[in-house]
Order: sequence, then structure tokens, then C-alpha cells
Amino acid sequence: PGLFPGLCPGWSPRAVPARGRKSRHDPPAKSKAGRVKLPPPVDPEELLVVLERYRQHRLVLSALRAEFRAEVLQRKREERLAAEGSVEELEEHRRLMAWNEEENARQQARREERLRKQEEEQKRRKLEIAEKQARKMEAFLEEKEKEVLQLQEEAKNFITPENLEARIEECLDNPRNYNFAIDKDGRIVKRTVLS
Amino acid sequence: MPMKGRFPVRRTLQYLSQGDVVFKSSVKVMTVNYNTAGELSEGARKFVFFNIPQIQYRNPWVQIMLFRNMTPSPFLRFYLDNGEQVLVDVEEKTNKEITEHVKKILGKSKEMLEKEERERKKLSHPATFGPKKYHLRECMCEIEGQVPCPAFVPLPKEMRGKYKAAMKNEA
Repeated sequence: PGLFPGLCPGWSPRAVPARGRKSRHDPPAKSKAGRVKLPPPVDPEELLVVLERYRQHRLVLSALRAEFRAEVLQRKREERLAAEGSVEELEEHRRLMAWNEEENARQQARREERLRKQEEEQKRRKLEIAEKQARKMEAFLEEKEKEVLQLQEEAKNFITPENLEARIEECLDNPRNYNFAIDKDGRIVKRTVLS
Repeated sequence: MPMKGRFPVRRTLQYLSQGDVVFKSSVKVMTVNYNTAGELSEGARKFVFFNIPQIQYRNPWVQIMLFRNMTPSPFLRFYLDNGEQVLVDVEEKTNKEITEHVKKILGKSKEMLEKEERERKKLSHPATFGPKKYHLRECMCEIEGQVPCPAFVPLPKEMRGKYKAAMKNEA
């Protein structure tokens, strides 16, 4: 190691002492009682130089890696954008949107047609009902008129206190014979004499 | 174990992967306004019941929202990532017509899908073998035309190390 540089070529330095026979709980041997373990000697200038070189190397490497990473990402992004935002694509999109608008307009026309038809239908129905009502009212009024006229006609033949005497005399003077005979065939015979 | 729902075929992978509407990457949200009753929304109802699972399966990153009984007539609305909104009137349309319409205006065309498929295939080489996650076959013995796995078919004597060592010792 550091004490005998180059004098033990076959000995490979170990970072961690290998635990051959003893476990970590076994006490160290008596021969190792005064052993002082020293870290390997370091040459400060060499150390500085080596550290500086490593620092620069790592700096350069990480910078290169970052550079390449960014380049790859940029390329991917550009490719994606080129695939998406190309002029033909936008054109296509606009055309499809226009077609969609037309489709919507057609549907709107159909809808308006349907609503118009529905409104017409409703109006027609309302008119029909109104007409029917009017006709009913007319018929009713006619009936009532007829009844009134009939009553007026009959009123002429009413018996009032004035012509009571005259009517009685009239009835007594003209006796009416209500008798009649009927046979099984339904023929009425009114030859019965009033007695 | 009983099947769930009125049309459990909608839950099968085969049915779901039969959906052919793959949206362009600019479509982010799809909104469906429809009514639960009425002759006019019949197509929209069928669309929601049968076709939306297929669409969501093929587009897992698109948000789909359903609104019921909020407007008198049914419609679809798509929100793209550049802020544009696309309105699609679906009154008195069958669900097949609706899917065709949507596929035409906002779906990826067949050529595009095939191209993407080919790109994806290029990334992996089918002839290599290794872990199941990245390759088709795990061991050389699984490849057609190669020596079969000695676990199933014993190797001929001449290829076995035991025999070769014995021969060498003899000679």
C-alpha cells in the first residue's frame, strides 16, 4: 500500500476488510492491540490537480449530455408540430368545420320546418274546435227559437178566463167520440157510436 | 358469477376495441347534452348507451361529460386545445349517423392510424428475445426453427457437455 509503493504487486487493495473467520462481534486479536489504522497518505498537490481535472471532466460531460438531450427533445417537438400544424391539416380542419356548420344548418332547417308544421297543426285544430263550438251554439239557439215559436202558436189556443165560457159551450156542443176497436192485425175501426 | 347491466356485451374488450373513433390529439373534452325522454333524443340516448364506452376506451385521455334534461334539443360539444368549440346538432339522428359524423369531423383518418401503427412497430424488433415486457419471446428455444428447450425435449448426446467431456477423456 502507501508505505511500500510497488512492493506488493500481487496484493489487490481492498476497500473494505473482508470478514474471513470472525464476525463483527468477535473481539480483535491481542496482536492487534496497539495497531493504529492510518488513512492512506495523500499528496495535496496531486489531490488538487486530480480533483480539478475530474471536476472539469464531469462538467463537460454533463453539459454535453444536457445539450444532446435538449437537441433530441427539440427535434421531437418540431416533428410533432410539423405533423400537426401543417397547412394542409389546418385547411382540412377548416373544411371539416365548414361541413359541420352546413350539417347544423340543414338540421336547423329541418327543425324549423317541423316546428312550423306543428304550429299550423295546432292552429288548424283550434279553428276546428272553435267552429264546432259555434255550430253547436247555433243549433242550440235554433232549437230554442223553434220552441218559443211553437209555444207562441199554442198560446193562441189557450183557455183564458175570458173565453172559458165560450170554450165550455163549444165542447159541450161538439161531443167527441174517443172509442175505437182494433183487431189482431192492428187495423183500427172507429165505427162505434157515441151514446 | 352473473353478468352485470342490461347489455353486458358493452363491457367486453372485443366490443370496446371495435370502436373506430380515435380523436385527433387536439380534442380534449367532449360534452353530450341529451334528454332522457322524447323521440328526438332517441339517437343521442343510444349513442350514449352504446358508443360512448367504445370512444372512451380508444381515447382514455379525453374527458367525456354527460348532461341530462338541461336543454330541449340534444347536441354534442367538443372543446379543442386551441380554445375552439365545435357544436354538433344530433336531433333526429340515429346513433350510427352520429358516430359517422363525429368520426368524419374530428376522428383520425384510417391512413393516419395505420401510419402511427407502423411507427410504433418500428420501435421494437420482433426478432429479438428477452423479458416478456419488451419482447415477444423470452428464450431462444421458443423461436421456430431453433433447438427446442431441453426441459421438454432432451438434447442429442453429441451436444451434451457430459458426453463431450467423456469423449475428450477417452481420447
